[in-house]
Amino acid sequence: MSEMWINMGPQHPMTHGLWNLRVRIDGETVLDVDPEMGYLHRGIEKISEDRHYNEVITLMDRTCYVAGLAWEHLYIIAAEKALRIQPPERADYLRMMCEEFQRIGSHLMWYAAFVQDIGLMSPFLYGMRDRDLVLDLFQSYTGARMTYEYMRVGGVRNDLPPGFTDQARKVLDWLIPRFKEYDQLCLGSDIFHKRCDHLGVLSASDCIRHGVTGPMLRSAGVKRDLRKNRPYSLYKDVDFDVAVADGADVTARYLVRMEEMRQSVRILRQVVDWLDAHPGPVMAETVPRWMGAPYAPVGREGYLLKRQYPKGVGFSSIEEPHGEAQAYVVNEGGEHPYRVKFRSPVFANLSAARTYLVGYHVADIPPIMGSVDVCVGECDR
Amino acid sequence: MSNVTLYSVSYLLSDAVLRAIGSVLPRPLSTWITNADLITGIAVLVFGALLLAASMLNTIVLIWWERKLLGRFMDRRGAMHVGYAGLLQNFADGFKLFRKTTVQPREADPLGFYTGPTAYMVTSMILFGILPISSGWNSGFLPLSLLLALAVFSFAPLFIFVSAWSSNNKYSLMGGMRSAAQMIAYEVPLLLAVVAVVIVAGSFDLTTIVYEQQNYWFWGPLAVALIVFFAGMLAEMERIPFDLPEAEAELVEGWNTEYGGMLFAFFMLADYLRALVGSILVVLLFLGGWTLPTWVPAALTSFPLAGIVWFMVKTYIVFGVFVWIRASLPRVRTDQLLRVGWNRMIPLSLLSVFLAALLVTVKCLPVFGCVPSLGV
Repeated sequence: MSEMWINMGPQHPMTHGLWNLRVRIDGETVLDVDPEMGYLHRGIEKISEDRHYNEVITLMDRTCYVAGLAWEHLYIIAAEKALRIQPPERADYLRMMCEEFQRIGSHLMWYAAFVQDIGLMSPFLYGMRDRDLVLDLFQSYTGARMTYEYMRVGGVRNDLPPGFTDQARKVLDWLIPRFKEYDQLCLGSDIFHKRCDHLGVLSASDCIRHGVTGPMLRSAGVKRDLRKNRPYSLYKDVDFDVAVADGADVTARYLVRMEEMRQSVRILRQVVDWLDAHPGPVMAETVPRWMGAPYAPVGREGYLLKRQYPKGVGFSSIEEPHGEAQAYVVNEGGEHPYRVKFRSPVFANLSAARTYLVGYHVADIPPIMGSVDVCVGECDR
Repeated sequence: MSNVTLYSVSYLLSDAVLRAIGSVLPRPLSTWITNADLITGIAVLVFGALLLAASMLNTIVLIWWERKLLGRFMDRRGAMHVGYAGLLQNFADGFKLFRKTTVQPREADPLGFYTGPTAYMVTSMILFGILPISSGWNSGFLPLSLLLALAVFSFAPLFIFVSAWSSNNKYSLMGGMRSAAQMIAYEVPLLLAVVAVVIVAGSFDLTTIVYEQQNYWFWGPLAVALIVFFAGMLAEMERIPFDLPEAEAELVEGWNTEYGGMLFAFFMLADYLRALVGSILVVLLFLGGWTLPTWVPAALTSFPLAGIVWFMVKTYIVFGVFVWIRASLPRVRTDQLLRVGWNRMIPLSLLSVFLAALLVTVKCLPVFGCVPSLGV
């Protein structure tokens, strides 16, 4: 067969979203790839400039549809720095709980999609089944399963419902044996190793050169996790290890994500215990009253424009399930942020596609791209 | 056992219907319609219709069986809503596909595009005319029925390739290429594994092969051949872990990407027809066909149509193993599949032929007993 270009996407089972991977192949060998992103660009940064600080949170849930709470957390930290508001301690713990549950949920979603890419059918539903438990927890305290809108500038919207922590512990107890089951289904299979070992290798230097972060970077043996390296929220108070693996291949990324889920469970146990022992307010006292109100009170139209608020900028970077996400919020004193900028880890991870795809087979593209954990929503924003 | 055969049933039906029509018709017409040749001719047609209906019904039940089993493996229930436990779900699906428009791509070659799926389905159906289902329940004495069955069985990649190429789609073409490569790699060990059975049974006739298993089923002494045959059948049936031609992760739907509506239903149906034939061949060659071991109480083997019942039970169990494999294994890559085919399966199949020859030499085994045709 002669050389030809094929379009894997925008609608292709491999993409797990809306993007296009153009592949030049010779028979079954990949000669060149050209990832094309932008099909899902919604102008979230621009829309944010037209919204109140708390309204941007709605957009954050839509930025990454599998890790909405992590993106809320990212934005909230930057916005609070820009507005110079300090959240109460309990709110920070609640946010950490959100982020870690979200990490588990996102990684379970990744697991489900990834095993589908190598042709495993049953674990797909196992992953989705267990993710449902996490979503049930989210539903019980945010009221939603996907678009949570839970965090607020200065705290979180509401405290946990009664009995939540017991339910959360039950879910954590359920998850740990399930991870073992997943490993048996994947690592226990020779075909899995045949398919995934030494596949999609992206060395540490290549990772750093392309700005690749998150589990992909850690799978190359680089021990970098923002929760440890640059602790935000109250991550310095909890005890956990950074998941690292050698090999830089698909199997290594699998191992890293599995270990991360275990570490998340470990963090969550501590956080849930803390939340049980320390009741308290979940919103800061110092949050100005206008912050919660998207519109001026009736008859006081000049209210919002008249009040002055100190200017400032806020920057935050968190270890999102897919990698290192960054946010920059500029506060020019208005009721809307002047400028909001996000850095998506998936965009960088995808952009390096040529480095880790060329030279492998066409059949290797789905497992490799599956191991990248693509979330197009946050990639295109 | 009973003397009811498929042919006698269809002859009785034809006879009864034609005589009933003849009794109400005037004199010259009634003698013509009840003559022996016409009854025989209609009986043959009824025979074919019964076979077709039985194979279709079985195929649809087989799809249901797979969906239910797969559901249980995946911690869910499978189809539940149409009919009892979803038994009628596939009829509903089939009806839906029947009503849908068939979209033909503008650049596709109509000749190959339409003949491909049709021929694929027809050749798969022919197989049912060849296979014996129980003693007397076959379409006649075919001394080379095993050879014929395997020959017809291996037509499929050709038609897959025709329909893939004429779809004028790159993914289809790659799927077709993979299908052809897979056939070359798996036909040889599959046939060698069959040779092992033929050596021991001394016949190409499937009925004889089943008869030769009356003392012991071949899966014990010919375990190596069974493993090779089973793996080869997985590849022939294009099921996970060897479903590369339609690997949906990278090739969308492989060779049937461009097919929709009834043509897709043809492919789907033919796939399951072939899966059914594959399971039947495993039962016939290695699991004693419709017979049960002699220590089974007579009450279980003497009721009417016991042979067919046990045959179907075995077939569905074998297919359940195929489903089990599908539920728990990832897909291999083309080059790995070919490597396994040439480097592992062929030596193993040669070993199985050697073991079969050894078995013929020693004639009787200590635990199992003897094969009737080998004497003693």
